[in-house]
Amino acid sequence: MAAQMSTTKVPEVRDITRIERIGAHSHIRGLGLDDALEPRQVSQGMVGQLASRRAAGVILEMIKDGHIAGRAVLIAGQPGTGKTAIAMGIAQALGTDTPFTAMAGSEIFSLEMSKTEALSQAFRKAMGVRIKEETEIIEGEVVEIQIDRPATGTGAKVGKLTLKTTEMETIYDLGNKMIESLSKEKVQAGDVITIDKATGKISKLGRSFTRARDYDAMGAQTQFVQCPEGELQKRKEVVHTVSLHEIDVINSRTQGFLALFSGDTGEIKSEVREQINAKVSEWREEGKAEIIPGVLFIDEVHMLDMECFSFLNRALETDLSPVLIMATNRGITRIRGTNYQSPHGIPIDLLDRLLIIATSPYTEKETRQILKIRCEEEDVEMSEEAHTVLTRIGMETSLRYAIQLISTAGLVCRKRRGTEVQVEDIKRVYSLFLDEARSSQYMKEYQDSFLFNETQAPQMDTS
Amino acid sequence: MESTRVLEYLTEVEEAAEDVLTNKQQIVDLDSKRNVNREALRALRTTSDSEKVKVCFGNMFIKLPKSKTQDMIKKDQEQLDKEINDLRKELKAKVNHLNVIQGKPELRGYNLSPLSAEEVKAINHLMKR
Repeated sequence: MAAQMSTTKVPEVRDITRIERIGAHSHIRGLGLDDALEPRQVSQGMVGQLASRRAAGVILEMIKDGHIAGRAVLIAGQPGTGKTAIAMGIAQALGTDTPFTAMAGSEIFSLEMSKTEALSQAFRKAMGVRIKEETEIIEGEVVEIQIDRPATGTGAKVGKLTLKTTEMETIYDLGNKMIESLSKEKVQAGDVITIDKATGKISKLGRSFTRARDYDAMGAQTQFVQCPEGELQKRKEVVHTVSLHEIDVINSRTQGFLALFSGDTGEIKSEVREQINAKVSEWREEGKAEIIPGVLFIDEVHMLDMECFSFLNRALETDLSPVLIMATNRGITRIRGTNYQSPHGIPIDLLDRLLIIATSPYTEKETRQILKIRCEEEDVEMSEEAHTVLTRIGMETSLRYAIQLISTAGLVCRKRRGTEVQVEDIKRVYSLFLDEARSSQYMKEYQDSFLFNETQAPQMDTS
Repeated sequence: MESTRVLEYLTEVEEAAEDVLTNKQQIVDLDSKRNVNREALRALRTTSDSEKVKVCFGNMFIKLPKSKTQDMIKKDQEQLDKEINDLRKELKAKVNHLNVIQGKPELRGYNLSPLSAEEVKAINHLMKR
């Protein structure tokens, strides 16, 4: 029985690519600015917040030009006013070439490494180095490969290799080593290969299209490519972009493979960092490397404490420093780790170095527009009336709560086999799930029946 | 008025593009010559056993001593290598110029000088590539 069970049990195969998850800011494609940096009312998933978006656009241009480095920006505003959305918009608009690192303020509290170490790693992840590699290669289609084996069976083999491009054809004499690597790569006539001139490394690019009809039975992995054009001996230039942190990690990896697999890099010695800084600036002076100051985004920055803030102060002044973007939803509050009150929970001396962008609450029209975009993003069809009701809910409770209701209402709608979310569906989920205000109301009414209630405990300060 | 301006601009772009293509073709021609020379050098070293070899100049064959021929071809090779290098440098500038007048963004890392062979080896080793 047991044996039978094990044979009939088919291993569960889950197609990872098909599981699409939708994040809270997945609808953001950019900042939604036109060429003159004027924000459009609704564009690239961004709605409203015109002034802050224009400000972000100015900063974006400065980052792109590489003019600002070691500067810091603070996005401040009430909860649910699009702070993270603006940061995401900047990230999207920067493209893939500029490093963008996002972290939450609370991520630095870990037992593995000190707070400042976590921050320096984040800083260095956001700094890119662009380097260029130049190789001389011989690239061509193999016309003929001829290998003569000595009659005795031992001794050096000799051979000839004929390569061609669309423009020319030539014969190379082969030594023993080349013959070996050619046979190791199973190179045969009709293959398109490259030979690295410096190392002699051979790589197969695929089979030539002109030989596509040679055989009927072929492996699925046989790839057909065009016969190369131009000269046989080419120069290939490859530009790599690596982050400083990557170089740090690899250089500090004394224990080799172990660290690679555990994924835990631990702390990096400051000597290693200094060596790498020295090497990178040497390369920069020789014109061998370009530094790309990226962006480090710290969300919920009020979670950082006094030590981190003083570290940030200093780190921003080093010459290898990215643009720091922070976001907070706090007003005047206690700085973590001290008893002092300060705006945004950030010390005054750091605040002084920041460019501050403020976000303001969304209007009803904007809320409606955002909910509409989210409906599209989450693939939920909604009727006009339901949309109006949801907008009202969004205005009265919070935008986040209204967004939560979209997918839940969508589920309820599907359950009753409807195609479009109606007002009833919204009502149903509104009664099923409490928003923050109603939940607190409930608590106040029934607090006596809960355990450990302390009515006189101070409320969390979020404003 | 407008049309002449457009025409002028297009001519400029076409000229720049033509320039790039000519440069490329020149590199191809020189490389093809370089390969022929390489084959000749190899042939001289392996096959013939006589003291003198026949060398084709234009449309006539001249008998020349082997060592002298080898020297000649080697010199020619060096010259070719240098010319190809120069042409490649020119090509870079020309492609850049073409991009500029077409209003395309500059290629990333275009003006970087390459890392030396050891540095590349170290980086590749580090990146496990």
